[in-house]
This record gives sequence, structure tokens and C-alpha cells, in this order.
Amino acid sequence: MKLYDYILSPSCYKVRLLAALLGIPLELRAVDFHPGGEHRTPALLALNPAGSIPILEDDDLRLTESAAMLVYLASLKSSDWLGRDTAAEAARTEQWLSFAQRLTASLGGARLCEMLLRPGDLAALQAAGIAALRELEAALVEQRLRGERFLVADRPTIADIACFPYVALAPDGSVSLDPYPSIRLWLRAVRALPGFIEMPGIHRLHELKPEPVHGAEGEPA
Amino acid sequence: MPSTDAAPLTPLALSEDLPPATVMPIWTPEGPMALWRSVGGTLSLAADRCPHRGMRLSHGFVRGEALSCIYHGWSYDQGGRCLRIPAHPDLEPPASIRVATGSVLEAGGVIWRARADDPSLPPDFPGFVPLRSLSFAVSRDVISRTLGGESAGPGILKGTLAGSAVILLCAEQAEGTSLIHLLAPADATLDQRIAVSRAAETLRRAAETGTTEAAA
Repeated sequence: MKLYDYILSPSCYKVRLLAALLGIPLELRAVDFHPGGEHRTPALLALNPAGSIPILEDDDLRLTESAAMLVYLASLKSSDWLGRDTAAEAARTEQWLSFAQRLTASLGGARLCEMLLRPGDLAALQAAGIAALRELEAALVEQRLRGERFLVADRPTIADIACFPYVALAPDGSVSLDPYPSIRLWLRAVRALPGFIEMPGIHRLHELKPEPVHGAEGEPA
Repeated sequence: MPSTDAAPLTPLALSEDLPPATVMPIWTPEGPMALWRSVGGTLSLAADRCPHRGMRLSHGFVRGEALSCIYHGWSYDQGGRCLRIPAHPDLEPPASIRVATGSVLEAGGVIWRARADDPSLPPDFPGFVPLRSLSFAVSRDVISRTLGGESAGPGILKGTLAGSAVILLCAEQAEGTSLIHLLAPADATLDQRIAVSRAAETLRRAAETGTTEAAA
């Protein structure tokens, strides 16, 4: 399975992250998104006329939407991650997959303005991002009241993976995460999952590993 | 202290939002602080700036009884003293390397900023339990007018949301914004708690858009 990938892309990271959590090996093909603009070259446009990444290829299957990639990976390995146990759960999962597109447009748009100096109305993107974060916080408050740590259940699903990266990287677009205690705990719960991997700007939970002991190993003789 | 009502204690956060081995950012009139709880459960409040390179300590992590900076791993004890500099493992950090700390008290599921010179205990709210904290982009006065409730002490409002009695603990934040810690009746059902949480969202929309209608 081959992923056309860019290390700083939160949408590519969604796919890398879920693959890591599920133990699915990926062949990564790095795309020079910035500064090269390789996603707009004829070779990449031939794979995805929309000119976006990620692109996932598996045999004759070619996917260009990250939500579909999450569904595919989860379907290969584990129905638990699909978030489709009941009709209501399936609908809530779909709701969050669509909501994730709002996060991409708002928080992701602000991030592109701030990090890659792309044109855009930064203040409007940040305001839309804050509105989305408030919605997410309110939903997570209700989940906590129900005794559930994740977006649609007390177990992680593709809904969490779809929303996690752009929320975690909101500060890249100068949108603070300080006002959201339930989002903070949810981000932590995702980062605590076995098999979690990092991307630049999203680090692992160092406290889950014991404190390194100086000279205990790897010291030259 | 620029506080105008001379509240002896300021509500900082809800206990449930700070489980053991976590850290959270707190705004105070003296500047940003990092509120953290050790694995053993001890609460501490430290200036939110590592003296090494200025990184926010609230971006850091709690391992055991120490708060560590995410940048280079300098770690601090509950009194603010530097315990360890990973790049210099054989060095005993000098006592002069420390972060400023503050006093905190925890009661009834709420964490309060205490003042060293004031022995006041946090107020008690029998029959109420913490529900959630929310930030409002308006001042406490605007929230009070929008809620239409009554003052029950410095920074404390009583009112009704979604038909339930509520208490709002208000802390002034930067640039005219407010942090509200919402308390709901202890005997409220799950559905009632969710309804109060949603009504608080409505209250915030009304307060921020200048609508005078109460959210109740």
C-alpha cells in the first residue's frame, strides 16, 4: 500500500497515524509539496486531478480523500475502529468525518496562512476555527458526562483520527488551545494510544516512558 | 493585584480537568502559569516559562513528582527548584535555577489560587458539583447581565440554566475575556447536566452577541 505523503500535512498524517495504530505497513512516497509544488505537476495530477495529497494506492484502488482512506484502513483490520456498531454510532462517525473537513478549511487554512504564507483571510479562518473548537469542546464535555473518552464511544474510532491532527496543530495557525480542557484531555487520550506516532508539531507523551537513566545503555565502552 | 473586588481566592480550574500526571495553562493577572498535578496527586502552580529557553512549561510533561520542559527536559519540583538538566546528567543544578510558584487550594472539585498572606478557605457550595469550564470573550459584567442572575459573592453568580439552578465562578482573563467554572445541582440527571451544558453555550452566544434574552 503506497501513500503519497508530505511530512507536514495533517491530512497525510491522519493516514500514517491510523496505519501505525492498526499495524498496517505503508510504503511512503514523499511529495515535495512545499516549496516544490510537486502535487501540481503533471505526474501527480494524473493520479489526482484535484492536485491534493494524500493519495493512497492499493492494487487497483486509488483514493484521494483522507476520510475514505481511514475507512479503508479500518475496514481492512478492525471493525471497532470503524465506529459503526449501531445506526446512531455510524451516523455520529460520519458527522465527525464531515466536521473534519471544516477543521481542514478553518484551522488548516489559518495554518497555511501562518506557516506557508498562503493568501487568505486569516482573521476569518481563525474565527471559524474557534467556532469549530467550541463545538468540539461541547461535544467532548457531553461525552465525558456519559463516561466516554472519545468522540463517538469509549474507544477510539476513525472519527477521532480524522479530527485529531488539525485540532492538535491549531496553534500553528495562531489559534490557542488553552481554553478547552476537554479537548486537552482528548488530545492526550489519542496520544496515549498504543502505537501512536508523531508528526512535526505533535509530540508523543514522554511521561509514558520511564525517565532515561544516564549511562544505563548505549554508552560507548 | 489588579483585581477590583479583592476576591481572596480566584478559581483556576476544575479538578476533573487536571487528572494526575497532567499540566494545564492558566492565565493570572501576574502572567501565565502552569498548573500541574503529580502522579501522587500533589497540585502545584509554576510560572509558565522555563528559565532555560523560555518555553511554556504547560507544554511540558509530568513524570513522577516533577514537571519537565518539553524543549530540553529541564525538570522542576513542586517548589519550583530545578532537579535535573538532561544534557548535564552529572550536574547538580544550582539552587538559583528555579521557577516562581504560587499557592493553590482544592475544595469541592474546584482548584483555587490562594494568597500566601490570606488564610481564607475556598467557599463551599453545598448541593452543587462542577460541570465544566468555558471561556467567554466578554467581561464578567456582561455575563452577569445576560444571565440575569444574582451575585453571591465576589466573582460568584447564581442563576438558572435550562431550568436548573447553577453557580458560575468567574475569573477575569486577558483582554476583557472571562473564564467561567459552571456548577450544577449535585442531584441533576445526565440529561439535565447535558441540558445545562448546552444552555451555557446559548448563554455564551447571547453574551458575546449582545443579545439581552436570558438563556434560561
